[in-house]
Amino acid sequence: MFGLSLRTFRERWQLFIGAIVTVCLGVSLVQSSLLILVSAASPHLPAGLSPLAAEQLSESYEAAITLLAMILGLGAFLAVFIVSSTFAFTVAQRRKDLALLRLVGAGRGQLRRLLLAEALLLGVIGTALGVPLGRLVMRLQTWMLIDLKFLPSSFEPRWQSWIFGVSAGVGIGVALLGVLAASRRAAKVRPLEALRDTGAAVRVMTAPRWFFGAFFLAGAVAMAILAQFTSADGAVPLSMFTSIAAAIALSALSPLVVPLFGRLFGLLLRRSPLGELAQANLRDGVRRSASTAAPLLVLVALLLGMSSSINSVTAAGDGQQARSISGDLIVDSSGASAARIGAVPGVAVAAEQVNLPFQVTTITQKKHKTKVKVHDRSALAIDSNAYQRTHPLSPTSGSLADLHGLTVALGPGNDNDDGLSVGSMVDADIGGHSYSLRVVAVLPEFVNGGADFLVPQDILPAAALAGADVQTVVQVDSGVDPSAVATRIQAARLGSVSTVARSLASRTDSNKQVNSGILVVLMGLAGLYTLVAVINAVVISAAERKAEFAAARVTGLSRGQVVRMALIESWAVTAIGLVLGCVAATATLLGIGAATGRMTGVSVIEVPWDLLGAVVIGAFAVIGTTSVWTSVSATRATPVSWE
Amino acid sequence: MPAMSAQSGPATRAAAAVELRGVSREYGGKQARVRALDGVSLDFPAGSWTAVMGPSGSGKSTLLHCAAGLEKVTAGQVLLAGTDITGASDKQLTALRRRQIGFVFQSFNLVASLTAEQNVALPLKLAGIRVSKREVRAVLDSVGLSGRLRHRPRELSGGQQQRVAIARAMVTRPAVLFADEPTGALDSTSARTVLTLLRDMVDLAGQSIVMVTHDPAAAARADAVVFLSDGRIVDRAIRPTAREVAERLARLEA
Repeated sequence: MFGLSLRTFRERWQLFIGAIVTVCLGVSLVQSSLLILVSAASPHLPAGLSPLAAEQLSESYEAAITLLAMILGLGAFLAVFIVSSTFAFTVAQRRKDLALLRLVGAGRGQLRRLLLAEALLLGVIGTALGVPLGRLVMRLQTWMLIDLKFLPSSFEPRWQSWIFGVSAGVGIGVALLGVLAASRRAAKVRPLEALRDTGAAVRVMTAPRWFFGAFFLAGAVAMAILAQFTSADGAVPLSMFTSIAAAIALSALSPLVVPLFGRLFGLLLRRSPLGELAQANLRDGVRRSASTAAPLLVLVALLLGMSSSINSVTAAGDGQQARSISGDLIVDSSGASAARIGAVPGVAVAAEQVNLPFQVTTITQKKHKTKVKVHDRSALAIDSNAYQRTHPLSPTSGSLADLHGLTVALGPGNDNDDGLSVGSMVDADIGGHSYSLRVVAVLPEFVNGGADFLVPQDILPAAALAGADVQTVVQVDSGVDPSAVATRIQAARLGSVSTVARSLASRTDSNKQVNSGILVVLMGLAGLYTLVAVINAVVISAAERKAEFAAARVTGLSRGQVVRMALIESWAVTAIGLVLGCVAATATLLGIGAATGRMTGVSVIEVPWDLLGAVVIGAFAVIGTTSVWTSVSATRATPVSWE
Repeated sequence: MPAMSAQSGPATRAAAAVELRGVSREYGGKQARVRALDGVSLDFPAGSWTAVMGPSGSGKSTLLHCAAGLEKVTAGQVLLAGTDITGASDKQLTALRRRQIGFVFQSFNLVASLTAEQNVALPLKLAGIRVSKREVRAVLDSVGLSGRLRHRPRELSGGQQQRVAIARAMVTRPAVLFADEPTGALDSTSARTVLTLLRDMVDLAGQSIVMVTHDPAAAARADAVVFLSDGRIVDRAIRPTAREVAERLARLEA
C-alpha cells in the first residue's frame, strides 16, 4: 500500500503541495514558538536588577509567553484545519481512482491505509522542510518580539535537542489528524463509482459535517454568552475561541451555507450569460466553492473577532481609566520637588503617588502544614484625601477615608487571588521594612490593570520617598487656566508637566501599538495559512476542470470568456467567504460589547475597518490572480485535445 | 419461473458461471420509481462468452452491475460461481472481486500512476498474494504487450490500455470476466485485436465472459447474444452474424 501511496504522491503532487507547505509552516512555527516560549518561561534575568525592574521584566516575559502560546495554538489549529480540508478536497477529486481500487479488490481498510500512508509521507516531507525553516522563523520571530517590545533586546532563545522529536510529532501528527476524516470518507467510496463520470450520489453534507457544524455552533453561542460574565482577562481569549468555533461551525456547514449565499449572488449575476453560467457552476461545484470560501471565512472571523475584542477591551479600559481621574495636569518629578507642587499658586489639589515594589507574604495552612510564600507586587503610596479628590471612584467595599496609619487598600490591578477583604491583615515588605497592614478598602478591578495595593504615604520613612519617582495629579483652582499653572510648575523646575488628557492619550497610543503588534504577529500568521489554503484550492480545482473548460469552449465560449467565467465564479466565492466570516465574527462582537459594558459600565465595540479593508482587497486580488492564471493555463490546449 | 438459458443445447447442463433468479432492480423514491430490471432470470454458462445487447436505457449496464455484485438487487437472487451474493457484506464482495471477478471497461480504468506491469500486479498485491514478475510478464506477453511493461497508461494507445486492463483482469484467473463496452472507445483495428484476445481466452482457457455492448460486430464474436428491452429479456441468438444482431437490434429500437 505504501508503494502505491508513494506513486500517487509522485503522480499527483500538485494536489499535495499546499498541504506540504502547510505542514512545513506548522512545524516551523510550532518549533520556533515553543523554543522561544521555553526560553522566555525560564529567563536568565540580568544580575543586579532592582526588584521593581525585575518585576517589570518578568511581566513583559509573561506577555510574550501569552502571545507565543496563542501563536502555538493558532498555528497548530490552522495547520490541522487546512490539511484536513485539503485532504477532504483531494478525496473528493480522486473518488474515481479510489473506486477503481475498490473494483480491483481493495478492501475498505486498504483505502484508509492508502490515505494514511500518503499523510505520513506528507508529514515526513513537511517536517523535513519545516525543521530547518523553523530555525529561520525563530530568528525572525525573536526579532519581531523584540522589535514590538515584548522581549528585551538581550533575549536569546535557546536551542533544545528534544525539539526534533516534538517537531516530527507535530508534523506527522498534524498530517495524520488532518487525513482522519477524509480517510473515513474514502473508505465509503463504492466500487461502482468508478464507472460513473460524476459521483452523482455524492453527498457533500455528511453526518459528521452536521454534527460538527451543530456542535461548534452551539459552542460559539455558549461562549458568546459566557464572555459576558467573565473577567477582563478571560473575555479576550474567550471571544477569540468564539470566533474560532463559529468559523469551524460555518465551514462545516459551508456546503449548506455557501450555495444559499450563492443563490443571493445569483440574483446579481443572472443578468449576463457568463454570470449565469458562473452561478450554475457555483451551485454545482459545492465542494469546490466551499474549499475556497472556508479558509477565507476562518481568516475574516479570526481577524475581526480577535482584533475587535482586543481593541475593544483596551479601548474600554482606556475609557475607564480616563473616567477614574479627575484632574488637569500630571507632573512627573522626584520626591523632594514633588512636595512643593501643592504650594504653587493656582494649584487646588496635588495628589502625589509613588510607585513602590511591595512584597506580600502569605501564610496558608493546609493539613497542619504551614506554607509561607512571598509575592512580588506593586503599590502606590498616596495621600488618601488628595487621592480621593482626584480619583472619583468609589471602592466596592470599605472606604478610602480610613486609609491612614497601618492600613492598605486593594488597588485596581489586584485580581485578589488571595481572597482578601476589608478587615484582613496583609504582611508586607516595603523598601526593606516589614509592615502588618489592615485592609480598609477594595477598589474595583480595572481592565487595564494598575497598582496592586494603595498604602498611605505617612507610614513610609521619609527616606523611602525622597529619592523615588513621583507622579502628581494636579487640580487647579476654579477659574485658573491650567496652562498658566503648568508654566509656573515648569518654571520652578518641579518636574515635567503634561495635561491629563495628553498623558492618557499617549498611554492609549502605546496600548494600541502593543495591540497592533500582537495582531500583526497573529494575523500575519493566519493570513499566511489562508493564502496557502486558498491558492491551493483554486489551483487544484482549476487543474481538475480542464475537461469542463474545454466543453464550455466547444459549446461556443471563447477562451477569454471561459477565463472570465472562472473569475466571476471565484470572486463570488470570495465574497461569500468574506461575508460568512463577518457573520461568524458578529457573535464575538456582540459578546465583547456586552462584556466591556459589564466591566467598565460603557460598552465599546471597535471594528478594525482598515485591517478588514486590506483583507478584502487582498483576498480579491490573490484569488482573482490565481483564478486567471490557472484558468488561462488550463485552457492553453485546444479544446478537443484535452483527453 | 424456469431460468432462461442464454444458450440452449448440451452446454446448458454445465454449471452456470453466473445465475440470475427473478432479479429486479428499481431506482428512485416513491414518486418516481424506475424499474431498470424487471424479473430477469438468466444463466451465463461457464466457459462461454455471452453478449448482452439492447437499446439505450434497456438495463444492460444495470444487469452487468447486479451480476457482478456492484449493485444490490431490489428483488431476486444472484449466484456467482455457485455462491449466493444477494446479501453479501462488503467484506465478502471485496474477497469476491479479488478472486472470482475480473472487470474490463470502456474507459480502461487503469491507475494512472502505475506502469502496465504494476497495474497488472495490483489485484494480486491487494489480495496479499506474492506476485511473481514472471507471471505478470507472461500475462502481458499473452496480450501482446511484452515490450510495454514499464509504460504508464498515458504513454499507451487506447487499444494497448485495454489490453493492459484485460491482462489485469486475467491475472487473478477469475471465474467470470465482466466486460462493459470493451471496444466502445477503440478504433476498429484495436477493437478487433481486443475481441480476438477475448475469443482466444474462451476457446483456449475456458474463460467465462459476460459482455455488455452496443456494437453488433463485437456481439457477433460471442457464443450467445441476449437482447434486453425495458428491463426484460426479449430475444436471444446463438452465434449470430453481425448483420443478424444489427437487424434484431434495429427491430427493438424501432
